[in-house]
Amino acid sequence: MQINDYEIPEGLYYSKEHEWIQIKGDHVIVGITDYAQKSLHEIVYVELPSVGSELEQMEIMGTVESVKAVSEIFTPISGKVVETNEKLVENPELLSKHPYTDGWIAKVQHTNLKKELENLMNMQEYAKYIRKVEE
Amino acid sequence: MMEDNILKKNPKKTHLYKFHVQKGRMDVFADFEMPMWYKGIIPEHLAVRSHVGIFDVTHMGRMVVSGPEAETFLNYITSNNVSALTPLSAHYSTMCNEQGGIKDDFVLSRLEEERFFMVYNASNRKKNYGWIVSHSHSFDVETIDVSGNVAMFAVQGPETEQTLQKISSKDLSKIGRFKCGWTELAGIKTFISRTGYTGEDGFEIFVWDTPSTRPKKAVKVWNEILESGKEFGIEPCGLGARDTLRLETGMCLYGNDIDEDITPLEARLGFVVKLQKREFIGRNALAKQKVEGIKRKRVGIYMLEKGVPRSNYEVWKNKRKIGIVTSGTLSPVLKRGIAMAYVPTEYATEGEEVTVKIRDRFAKGKIAKFPFYDPLKYGYRRKQ
Repeated sequence: MQINDYEIPEGLYYSKEHEWIQIKGDHVIVGITDYAQKSLHEIVYVELPSVGSELEQMEIMGTVESVKAVSEIFTPISGKVVETNEKLVENPELLSKHPYTDGWIAKVQHTNLKKELENLMNMQEYAKYIRKVEE
Repeated sequence: MMEDNILKKNPKKTHLYKFHVQKGRMDVFADFEMPMWYKGIIPEHLAVRSHVGIFDVTHMGRMVVSGPEAETFLNYITSNNVSALTPLSAHYSTMCNEQGGIKDDFVLSRLEEERFFMVYNASNRKKNYGWIVSHSHSFDVETIDVSGNVAMFAVQGPETEQTLQKISSKDLSKIGRFKCGWTELAGIKTFISRTGYTGEDGFEIFVWDTPSTRPKKAVKVWNEILESGKEFGIEPCGLGARDTLRLETGMCLYGNDIDEDITPLEARLGFVVKLQKREFIGRNALAKQKVEGIKRKRVGIYMLEKGVPRSNYEVWKNKRKIGIVTSGTLSPVLKRGIAMAYVPTEYATEGEEVTVKIRDRFAKGKIAKFPFYDPLKYGYRRKQ
């Protein structure tokens, strides 16, 4: 769905820090939302987590930088980073162009998904959250 | 640069507020609701480097100092030689405190023999007014803050003259760098000076007697410039690009790179400190520092590795901290991180390798000269 110019796809789960996850069996794909990339504007640099690192839910997994600001990326769920999107290093603009597809950040093997999903929002809830943030 | 959020609830608006809100991303800076960008910092920055851009900088402070002792007074409160200014010329200068620390940096224009015009930082409007007025009592001068009554635009970039010439009553090629004059732009009387904060050729335009409650004249001048610049690819530019442009050319931002604890000599603004003047506020401290030598110095850092340096990041050398970044960004022209920092004089040599601590890692950089770009390719001295 579309809220105030921001795209929010169905089927993903969202964090309050504007990351999304897509569940794929034993792992999830993590990225930042359209709202996050539009707020940052002109992303020029992405720092990815190291493959193999084990992170707790909402721990810092990387950073995204625009010309003016630095913003941290938090992992929406706990687990082990099994793969990162190396394309972002040379083409950080993929995050702005395709935040939900080619601009994905990492694949994380989840350890406590079911419980941790309670701390995340679905599309409707996130849309409501964005409306509130935008007020 | 968005630290001054105290008046966020009730910020002031400029004449162009409607335009900005409709087309730009707004934020509060120095009590004013200003556009940070329209299309984006990078395209706006590049438009100024290769063609032309227009900025609304009405938030800046402006003061007229006039009277028989205007020259004497200004020589006393500022560090540059005011007597060297002929009517309709301008110079960059600083005001210092007794310790030689910078109260503000600004451009001073001589309108007439006994009439001067000062343009200073938005964030220092109140402070400067108090300081200037408090020192003016023993001089035969009048000081008037005209900030609220004058709209100010900066038109910058190599195609500025062509853009403005089409709507100017005066031959602009006759106004050289750091010269000024009166001209009609789109039929409206304006004061213009060939100055700016980008390193490019350009003019700053003042629409006199135009409070923001009666914005008509200012809006007309702005719109006509945009229309005239269309064929050159003009872009309206926000404060974001203004900051990256000044940083890329090596100009200081007050509050970041200079403040009351830094002297013009440390900031490498020695060219505006005229110690041969008999007396001015801060002179003794500066003369002493000049003899003793400075211990730290403002330098440029060009990143050799990936990463964007930002203010307050640490600068390291030989495994110890030697300084602090005062401003930093990604250079849109060089596509590299660039920064200004203060480091001990012994490390302030061009080419010296340093590292900048970016969060938890150290990224290599080198001390670089200003401007960061090749002055033969960009900036007002470029070869056409």
